[in-house]
Amino acid sequence: MLTADELGVLLFTLGIAGLGTLLILPLGVGLALVLARYRGPGKSALETLLSLPLVLPPTAVGIMLLEVFSRRTALGAALAAAGLDVVFTWRGVLVATSIMSFPLLVRSARTAFEEVDPRLVGIARTLGRGPAATFFTVTLPLARRGVIAGATLAFARALGEFGATVMVAGNIPGRTRTLALAIFHDNQVGRDDRAVVLGGVTAVLAFGALWTSEWLTRRNAGRGEA
Amino acid sequence: MIDLSIEVPLAAFTLRVEAALAGRVTVILGPSGSGKTSLLETVAGLRPKARGRIALDGQVLQDDARRLRLAPERRRVGYVPQDSGLFPHLSVLGNVRFGARGGDEGRVESAIDTLGLRPLLGRSPGALSGGERQRVALARALASDPRVLLLDEPLASVDVELKERILPYLLRVRQDWRVPMLYVTHNVGEALVLADHVLVLRAGAVEASGAPSQLLSSPLMARQVAVGGIENIFPVRVLSHDTSAGVTRLRTESGLDVAVPLASARLPGSTATLAIRAEDVLVAVEPVRGLSARNVYEGRITRLDQTGIDVLVGVEVAGGSTWLARLTPGAVRELQLALDGRVWLAVKSHSARWV
Repeated sequence: MLTADELGVLLFTLGIAGLGTLLILPLGVGLALVLARYRGPGKSALETLLSLPLVLPPTAVGIMLLEVFSRRTALGAALAAAGLDVVFTWRGVLVATSIMSFPLLVRSARTAFEEVDPRLVGIARTLGRGPAATFFTVTLPLARRGVIAGATLAFARALGEFGATVMVAGNIPGRTRTLALAIFHDNQVGRDDRAVVLGGVTAVLAFGALWTSEWLTRRNAGRGEA
Repeated sequence: MIDLSIEVPLAAFTLRVEAALAGRVTVILGPSGSGKTSLLETVAGLRPKARGRIALDGQVLQDDARRLRLAPERRRVGYVPQDSGLFPHLSVLGNVRFGARGGDEGRVESAIDTLGLRPLLGRSPGALSGGERQRVALARALASDPRVLLLDEPLASVDVELKERILPYLLRVRQDWRVPMLYVTHNVGEALVLADHVLVLRAGAVEASGAPSQLLSSPLMARQVAVGGIENIFPVRVLSHDTSAGVTRLRTESGLDVAVPLASARLPGSTATLAIRAEDVLVAVEPVRGLSARNVYEGRITRLDQTGIDVLVGVEVAGGSTWLARLTPGAVRELQLALDGRVWLAVKSHSARWV
């Protein structure tokens, strides 16, 4: 069984991952649509840039975020003045996990948008729907499984984020400690048994999220053939 | 009235069309790859590279000289692509309703009835046959209250063997809905039965433009007839079944009686469409007696057109309908066929095909 502290860490982790996924959804879906439809200069550069967090060491992303949000920068100072400090707060956890999981959402959603027949979009226009209405009544419904699968993947990635989070937000019990950080901490202080329990919890959560994502992607593919 | 003066750059050539189309049904006839579909998409506003001027009943949809271009959603065109283009995530009813501006349920209901979709409303597009999909796409376009219907080979994707072509529905739409049509096809028979006006396209250019009967002698019509043949197409009503004679009796709109092989599945009173190939129509210069053909009609020759090697003979029979018979030049000489000559046509009941 989980202790009260561990339960708190679990809920905090789920909350951050869920909130982060919701926050990146509009931007990620928008970017995915642009990447799926846009043909022109700068496209591959943008795609590469967006995929960088997938291959960079998370600590490298973390140190960049730390630089951007430190109080020495105008942005960091402004946020601090507004009482919205990022570094070493839960907001830092949110920023770090969101950045790290963003590419997974965009890649999955982009593939889904690319599979939507552009002719259907044209037909929806001739039937009186403007671009926005067409997006919400045709494009998004047809791509929805891929978008949801991408969001689920992003959520799972956020659950397990470690490197960037520890750089930006530290490992402060009750404030910024997520499951991944708690496992590391338990191991460091010799409580390997608790680390194993928490490891099991993250495994179950990740399995559920990935399985859901796979299932949705497969169903999407099946629909495409029908 | 549709005014076109457009240029569309395509892969192999530039499509150039200048035309004022006043007919209720204008058929755009041409071989595949002649630019027919691109023309429809240009009118619909789906070709960003198209330049020129398009006006529909006086309203300008596009005029690049004045930097004017209405978005597709503001053109009020009912586009039915060759593959139907149904939305796979919506039911039949959802598809038909999709285009109904302001939720005009009256139009939706009429469109559903005209196209006979009542039994299919809850189905998903994936569970429909080709002909059913075309009917749903046509109903969806009608429900959007279009000022023009753009139909791209509506009969081409339908399996002829299934005998569920949608020509009878198209004829019904033409009769009951006051919407002009631009109708793309490469089938001369369809053009003859549907069109008030025919525009013949070849490699992106207008080769001929005029009433369908005027164009029968044009080179392209001749080619199309040589390749695909030509059919006499008649909407008919089922009169009765004669089991002992083994025939079903039908009557055309012009009041001509036709006997075809027994088709008891067709209910008396129901309507259908019949196609008879022009080469299956025999021509005699004397009253026909002692012949097994079930359908014999007396008429007058109204046209004699050389189409390729063969001669297409047009014969007006009682009631005013015109039949086309395809004969060899030798037969025409031997029978001394001439305009206004009296002839008798004989049609075997088995040469009739349901469409």
